[in-house]
Amino acid sequence: MTTPLIVGYVAGLHRKLPAGLADEAADGLTETYQQHLAAGAGEQEAARAALAEFGDLATVVGEFTRQAPARRAARLLLATGPVAGGCWAAALILSRAWTWPVPATARLSFGAVLLLAVLALLAAATSRHSYRRTRLAMLASQVILVLDATAVAAAALAAPSLTPALSAAVAVSLGRIAFTARMLPRLAAR
Amino acid sequence: MKADAQVLKGHLDTLLLASLEGGPRHGYAVKEALRAGSGARFDLPTGTIYPALRRLEAAGLVTGTWAEAGGRRRRTYALTPAGRRRLAGDRAAWRDFASAVTAILEPAL
Repeated sequence: MTTPLIVGYVAGLHRKLPAGLADEAADGLTETYQQHLAAGAGEQEAARAALAEFGDLATVVGEFTRQAPARRAARLLLATGPVAGGCWAAALILSRAWTWPVPATARLSFGAVLLLAVLALLAAATSRHSYRRTRLAMLASQVILVLDATAVAAAALAAPSLTPALSAAVAVSLGRIAFTARMLPRLAAR
Repeated sequence: MKADAQVLKGHLDTLLLASLEGGPRHGYAVKEALRAGSGARFDLPTGTIYPALRRLEAAGLVTGTWAEAGGRRRRTYALTPAGRRRLAGDRAAWRDFASAVTAILEPAL
């Protein structure tokens, strides 16, 4: 008991959204359609009324995207990024990190990977119509987690002494690691 | 309706929680409860209810469960204990806020 209009819309939902979300929205659309049928509308008329009441595909997908947990996580990580970056910058300058025995290639690759991860987070955080793009945050936040851990390890192994500024930077990174580790399984679940 | 929609966004979570206070509901029934309860002023596109319910679910305030009914899988939503606590808090905050605004807009003559 359905029409090509409804079938086409549901196919669109499945193209643009993960299966669980598409199923949930499709259930709502079917219910809306059946309410119009029950009220005495013909199949075509009920389908058109249901689609009008439900909202067009771009609006519904856009709303799922705007409220995607991965998009929110990306925004949180980006918002705390300057704090972590500032703490590390201050700590590294105060500890004269350029004198640490860390190879230049390692420093450069750290910077390059960090830049890529931040760009991926930005793409996820600003996505408005593409749910898929918000999923970039999953990969990027895992990379950031590894970078935080690497920075902590480098400070522990290469720093001649643990200054207060360095301790603060390590604490910020550990906090971010704990937050990301707690958030990732929840993101993966949807 | 457009102006309402902006204001409504800020209160949507509370209104959705309130619509589930009487017991579990299907998404369509949640939307109908908002429409009927507001005298048709809050008439959201049904499709935008689901992302909001999904977000409340991720926040642990609502649980959604699939059940077979009439040969079709349907999803119903229910308040969690945390959702009930949030609703109680939101309701108290709204009462305070509304009575303060009323006191200013409609001073006793």
